[in-house]
Amino acid sequence: MEITQLIQGFLLIAGCVFFAVGTLGLFRFPDTLTRIHALTKVDNLGLGLILLALLLGVPSLAVGMKVVLIWLVALAASATSAHLIARAVRSQDRGRSEGRESHD
Amino acid sequence: MTLMLNAVAAFLLLTLLVALVRIWIGPTPSDRMLASQLFGTTGVALLLVLAEAQASPALRDVALVLALLSVLAIVGFVTRVVRIDGKES
Amino acid sequence: MRTVTTISGRMILLLLVWWTLTEGDPSGIGFGLVIVILVTAISVRLFPPGTARIRPMPFCLFVLFFAGRSVTAGIDVARRLLSPSLPVSPGFLTFHLNLPEGGPRWLLANTLSLMPGTLSVSLDGARLDLHCLDTRDPIEADVRAVEQKVARVFGLSLEDSAARAGGKE
Repeated sequence: MEITQLIQGFLLIAGCVFFAVGTLGLFRFPDTLTRIHALTKVDNLGLGLILLALLLGVPSLAVGMKVVLIWLVALAASATSAHLIARAVRSQDRGRSEGRESHD
Repeated sequence: MTLMLNAVAAFLLLTLLVALVRIWIGPTPSDRMLASQLFGTTGVALLLVLAEAQASPALRDVALVLALLSVLAIVGFVTRVVRIDGKES
Repeated sequence: MRTVTTISGRMILLLLVWWTLTEGDPSGIGFGLVIVILVTAISVRLFPPGTARIRPMPFCLFVLFFAGRSVTAGIDVARRLLSPSLPVSPGFLTFHLNLPEGGPRWLLANTLSLMPGTLSVSLDGARLDLHCLDTRDPIEADVRAVEQKVARVFGLSLEDSAARAGGKE
């Protein structure tokens, strides 16, 4: 019993650290696209760790599966939002500076 | 354990609040829309932790709806900027 | 026969989702059955069975691979953020995909968004624009490897991928 709680505590703290780093990324990264990188990747890892901790203590199988289902929805949501915002940013940039194709 | 979960919830709320500063300073609308994505992940984690800490299973449904709505909000925003059906503006 | 397998598979999956959503409460099952049948009917209309089938075993392997890579992605971005010099050199790369239209391309684009250093910006036909956190990384090899794995999930083979690789603008 105690060892489960220990693992849970560790996962929760690790999750919090990643969420904090993700928020830091919102301020340290120079432009919108790199900020999206920070939000999708770091925050998803944080979410994964916290949900893993919660899964260790679920009361029933159905609740556990529900948490997994929410996890999957959140993952898909995050990937889709990242793609959509990135695309909007890019098309705005193109509109603003026609001709200056941004590859480096 | 409940104490720990409450602490985690408080911490997540704090990171959300700090992130709101980024929305405040912007500068572009896209930066502000990142908030919706942020609520999709941090908000979901926060609600699920609270559901466990306060033993209120209904919050799990709220988390599910929040995850779905965050995408819809972004789709709504993006269709204002880009045409979604292939041809970009 | 294949159609019957697909439809019953979808119905079982949806029933499982319903059971999960109601947290195992049996009182709403009649309502659930009606919804499941309606959703299956719509899904058959929108995604006709038999176009791109997912192989179960490679899919499980892909899920494991994806989980590992997305953990790496999170740690990678966190490491860059925490180092004082902020080692990023963002830029765009364009790839021409060898995967067929529809599900496979969509899966590749979405999983790449959660993998280290890449974010799919636009998917236009076979042309995929990626935003990279660090263009000095071997992104190209990475994308091709993931592409091969996605192809395996759908039971396809990409023998021409080496010949048509490239497309770094």
